[in-house]
Amino acid sequence: MAATGYDAIVIGGGHNGLVAAAYLGKAGKKVLVLERRRVLGGAAVTEEVYPGFHFTELSYVCSLMRPEIIRELNLPAHGFQVIPQDASFTPLPDGNYLYYRGDAQEAIDAVSRFSRTDAENLSSFSQLMTRMAKFVAPMLMMTPPDLHSLWPSNLMKLRELYKHFKTLDEEEFHTFFQLMTMSSADYLDQWFESEPLKAGMSSSGIIGTLLGPRSPGTAYVLIHHYMGEIDGSYRSWGFVRGGTGALSYSIAHAAESYGVEIRSSTDVRHVLVRNGRAIGVELASGEKIHARTVVSNADPKRTFLKLVERSDLPQDFVTSIENFNVIGSSGKVNLALKELPRFRALPQAGPHLTGVITIGPDLDYIEEAYDDAKYGDFSRRPYIDMCLPTTLDRTMAPAGKHIMSMFVQYAPFNLRKGTWPERREEFGDTVVDTIEEYIPDIRKIILHRQVITPWDIDNEFGLTGGNIFHGELTPDQLFFLRPAPGWAAYRTPIKALYLCGSGAHPGGGIMGAPGANAAREILKDMRLRKV
Amino acid sequence: MADGYDVVVIGGGHNGLVAATYLGRAGRRVAVLERRSVLGGPATTEEIRPGFRAPTGAALVGMLRPEVVRDLQLDQHGLQLIPVDPVVTSIGEDGRILRLWNDPAKAAAEIAKFSAKDADAYIKFHDFLVGLAATLDPIMMRTPPNALAMGTGEMLYYLRFALRARRLGKWAIGQALRFPQMALRASLGEWFETELLKATLSVDALLGRWAGPWSPGTSFGVLHRFWPAVHGSAWAIVRGGTGVLTDAIAAAARAAGVTIRTDAAVARITTTDGRATGVQLESGEAIAAQVVASSADAKRTLLGLLAPADLELEVQRRIQHMRMEGAVAKINLALSSLPKLKGDDGVAAPRIRYGPTLEYLERAYDDAKYGKASAHPYFDVTIPSLLDPSLAPSGQHVMSILAQFAPYHLRRGDWKTEKGKFADRVVDRLDELMPGLRTAILAEQVLTPVDIEEKFGLTGGHIYQGEMSLDQQAFLRPVPGWGQYRTPIQNLYLVGSSAHPGGGITGGPGHNAARQILHDWGRAARA
Repeated sequence: MAATGYDAIVIGGGHNGLVAAAYLGKAGKKVLVLERRRVLGGAAVTEEVYPGFHFTELSYVCSLMRPEIIRELNLPAHGFQVIPQDASFTPLPDGNYLYYRGDAQEAIDAVSRFSRTDAENLSSFSQLMTRMAKFVAPMLMMTPPDLHSLWPSNLMKLRELYKHFKTLDEEEFHTFFQLMTMSSADYLDQWFESEPLKAGMSSSGIIGTLLGPRSPGTAYVLIHHYMGEIDGSYRSWGFVRGGTGALSYSIAHAAESYGVEIRSSTDVRHVLVRNGRAIGVELASGEKIHARTVVSNADPKRTFLKLVERSDLPQDFVTSIENFNVIGSSGKVNLALKELPRFRALPQAGPHLTGVITIGPDLDYIEEAYDDAKYGDFSRRPYIDMCLPTTLDRTMAPAGKHIMSMFVQYAPFNLRKGTWPERREEFGDTVVDTIEEYIPDIRKIILHRQVITPWDIDNEFGLTGGNIFHGELTPDQLFFLRPAPGWAAYRTPIKALYLCGSGAHPGGGIMGAPGANAAREILKDMRLRKV
Repeated sequence: MADGYDVVVIGGGHNGLVAATYLGRAGRRVAVLERRSVLGGPATTEEIRPGFRAPTGAALVGMLRPEVVRDLQLDQHGLQLIPVDPVVTSIGEDGRILRLWNDPAKAAAEIAKFSAKDADAYIKFHDFLVGLAATLDPIMMRTPPNALAMGTGEMLYYLRFALRARRLGKWAIGQALRFPQMALRASLGEWFETELLKATLSVDALLGRWAGPWSPGTSFGVLHRFWPAVHGSAWAIVRGGTGVLTDAIAAAARAAGVTIRTDAAVARITTTDGRATGVQLESGEAIAAQVVASSADAKRTLLGLLAPADLELEVQRRIQHMRMEGAVAKINLALSSLPKLKGDDGVAAPRIRYGPTLEYLERAYDDAKYGKASAHPYFDVTIPSLLDPSLAPSGQHVMSILAQFAPYHLRRGDWKTEKGKFADRVVDRLDELMPGLRTAILAEQVLTPVDIEEKFGLTGGHIYQGEMSLDQQAFLRPVPGWGQYRTPIQNLYLVGSSAHPGGGITGGPGHNAARQILHDWGRAARA
């Protein structure tokens, strides 16, 4: 069979598809990656949107990329470089601000301006979260067990998981359950009292999710904030030199160095299935390409409800995928600026502009923003996570000019009034109105404005529902439940068809883990001649 | 006082009395100390006007453990349950009525008037939840495990439990893992299309809870709605009023040799070297005991009745953060007559619900999030006198209403000024649904969370002695590390709803705690 074509065709050249392809290629398999768009990277993409201005259109920071993948694929040799982005700046409406850099003592000093007890609690909180991150990190690279199967291999996995849990001490064990079930606001209330601190921390729990800081289940993502590993150090976020697209290209180059073929501007129309087994793909052009396995980096809905025939899948599975929650909640507004913005709270240029800048001064602010979205409108005063990549990487814009990249929430995929194409600029105006309260002169320095709505994320980037994580990262859709109960091991009801994107464990974010895990399972099946 | 008791139980609520009875039957000398002059805590019946007996707290009993009923022979002590059927009559935005019967087929026939698809789904939904509840049921009557230090026996039990759960089948196991964690809007949306049905089931999960149908983790509560079916019973009222249940347990307690004292408010728990030694009453009287079992909530017990120096700061911090903010207000009405429900078709409606859409429920919660009483509250009405005419003079009625949200903490104003307005909003709406209701009111009793706290001693006015959210369940209840009824003070136990399996009239905490106390006693005696 393999003689007739490829060992694997990867549908979609997002970062996970490329990671899966690279691992398969590294193992000596003949691999073809097919990307619908002209550029690689999927949501981890950098494009020259306006002459001289390179926007990292969707994802904007790199914190979760697994260090083992960076190492194993030797990404630095292929151009991957992270610039640490450790400053955190939260301007407040009253002109005050919370600003600190990665240094622990500096953070404590900054927080003590708001609350002494918070400052005292900060380091033990960080230590606990870091311990939790260290506990969770190996689980990211684990293939989730099945809770129903009694196969010995599955029981071994369960035992491994049990042993992993036994490494926790009592405090960590309870913390784990609390983080899985509590809202970030409730969890943080146990530790802190000052609003800017709690708001800033809770925001990491709601990013990309149609939930508010008071929604149970959002506490879990607090851990992710502490998982950003760069050169082995926890809790540092980073900006990829050249934008996140440069990361995608470094993976692509690594893959190509292993002999992987990559074709862009190649739209896959169907997965070809014969007798319950995937045998290749059919392109929009009508061309058919056969392969021993097909690996989909597309999200679960696109993969199972669009690329294959429903009649090739069990009804229960189709129902599960239909029920998989992928309603997008965020948008992006990218600005090309004449000069650096001057914040009312801290007008001069300085290191506070180099990190993550958060518009979300208190929990009520974010919760109210969520309330608007619940009822089908974008937030009147959205939560914004902003950064100025040009303060770190001068190659992204013409000399003296700057880029402001804004992640905006909430922007629900389904609007009650109007459509996103009709309301796109209104949404952009709302965002600019919001930041104008913090940067009074902002309108004077805007050269270009790119507004990306969830509709655009669906339409242009192919993420169903405009969900940046291929599906909500809520506990009912994580680990052995992602994307469907019983189907969390990257395999699908169609033999030789695999899932390798964020719709599989451990989910979204620029992590690479789904791609690497899927490749591992595929290679195992190939070794056992199951495919 | 060497001739004290083996055990003093603080609080004569139903769980305190259940624990006392089990301990008494095991041969311990037990005294129950109740602050009020009546027993039962929120499980009482009160005359709100001569001849009108209303449930001051709980109106319905559904989760009462059959083991407790059997062991304590409560039926011989006068307990008689009258099933509420239809279990709910829910009113939609357009005035249409959805009636749910205990019998799933009969309920499906009503649902079919809205959607044939939903009618089919309801049968499957019912079976799924009853199956899941049946699987989980034994856990209700066990001390939650200390997961990190499980003994072999405990471990084997849970392995067997897992194998038993496997019998649910692959599909149901998958659903069982995700359903409880989901938001009602999401989970019910997978099953049903009829808004009124989804909203009606949501209220079952949300009553007394600090959450909305958009909040993840709320679907778990729907299980309670179907739980009685596990034992072939149904949601019910107590003949003669909820207080009769308390009387029955108290009679069983006395038969077991338990001393019960009312008007005996405990001022503090006395301790020596980290061990509880008894209690001191507000009157100054000291009562010595080997074990103190508190059916007061965790905050009142550990923060209110102990001296601050008795507890480590870390434990105090955890207890302080147990979420216990009351969400619900109780309104009891004495009615000269029972006006007809609009759209009435002659079928009795002993329980009426208004909360027509998920968005309506969520918006009511939105207000509470920002410290406001709901502008448009939803409510659940029980008319016990329809099932038991002895509760009111002939032809007249008592009505018991739970309305939400009435947050304990109001950001603006206080309940003194808001109470009347909130009750009016509920009664006005009800008057539109049952024209003539307002003019039939002979007496009105309104209990806001502040009143509930004052009257029953429930901190925050929380009717479940602490949020029944997933993070405060099982071994995490009341707080992580103390899920086995024990407390950091040796010989001091929690026996009320702050402990597993939590709130509602179940008797579960009292039963389990008594067993734990006896178990520990046996171990201490052997040592």
